[in-house]
Amino acid sequence: MPIVCLAIIGQQNNPLFIKTYPEAEQDKELRLHLIVHCSLDAIEEKILLKRAPVDCFLGLLYPTEEYRVYGYLTNTNIKLVAVTNDASMKEDLLCGVLRSLHSVYVDAVCNPFFTLPSKSAVFEAKVHQLVSAMQ
Amino acid sequence: MHARMQGLSIQPQHQGGNVSQTTFNPKKRCADVCMELLLLESVHLYKNRGAPAASAALEAIGMRVGKQLAERYTKDRPRLGETLEVIKFLCKDFWLLVFKKQVDNLRTNHKGVYVLTDNNFRWLSRSPPISSAGGDPSQEEALREVALQHLHLPCGILRGAMIQLGVPCTVEADHKLSPPACAFTIRLS
Repeated sequence: MPIVCLAIIGQQNNPLFIKTYPEAEQDKELRLHLIVHCSLDAIEEKILLKRAPVDCFLGLLYPTEEYRVYGYLTNTNIKLVAVTNDASMKEDLLCGVLRSLHSVYVDAVCNPFFTLPSKSAVFEAKVHQLVSAMQ
Repeated sequence: MHARMQGLSIQPQHQGGNVSQTTFNPKKRCADVCMELLLLESVHLYKNRGAPAASAALEAIGMRVGKQLAERYTKDRPRLGETLEVIKFLCKDFWLLVFKKQVDNLRTNHKGVYVLTDNNFRWLSRSPPISSAGGDPSQEEALREVALQHLHLPCGILRGAMIQLGVPCTVEADHKLSPPACAFTIRLS
């Protein structure tokens, strides 16, 4: 699977949703959580440097030895982070995935009976569908 | 008599009930009059529970709805920069999507206070105008009070939207104007 981790982080840098794929690998999960946490600094840097970027998609935040981390910042200061282990992946595809994740997130937020970060099988299924559509 | 309204996605949380959500899908429509009746009834419901709870409850509902609307309506837009751009978004696009028109007048004192004036506020279109009181000041005051009760929810919506867009503030409605005109004062905190 090219996409290894997807995360949604709230306005106060609180994690709302974070999921690693494939789910069986527990040992990599903590490492990916740390990578996502570090990417928040990179996002803040990008915001300061670019003086309010015009596009929501921030592009490649920082590469590590085996992963590449992409960021997306919404108008409501929600950060979406995608970690991929596929170096040859085109940025446009990832941009599409993050936009779709944004749509799924907006639909979930508009549900008055559900607030992230609760567990929801439906939400996780929709996100999983996004990830598996990348194959 | 049903007005056709396309693509309004508002879900006011109402005592366990849930209005069916219409998204930006042209096939799903909701009659405008349903919305108006719901707004009138929600004010009526909370009024019957006692005065202090009504304004707070309606503002709380408005805050939640405003946050959700802000998420949905800013989804495909380029990033908004500073506070003034957020206010402009509120006055033009947001007002158009929620209240079907744009704000008529925006004033600021450049110290964090913005006054948005709408000369024909849609949600007050059913309120009797002040002139129908026939010049009687106590009746006029009563009419203004009624109009004010209906403005708690829009104030909450604006406040929720602003907070979600990263601008903490308080929103007050000015009931000195004659309905259906009204002014909202946004004070940045």
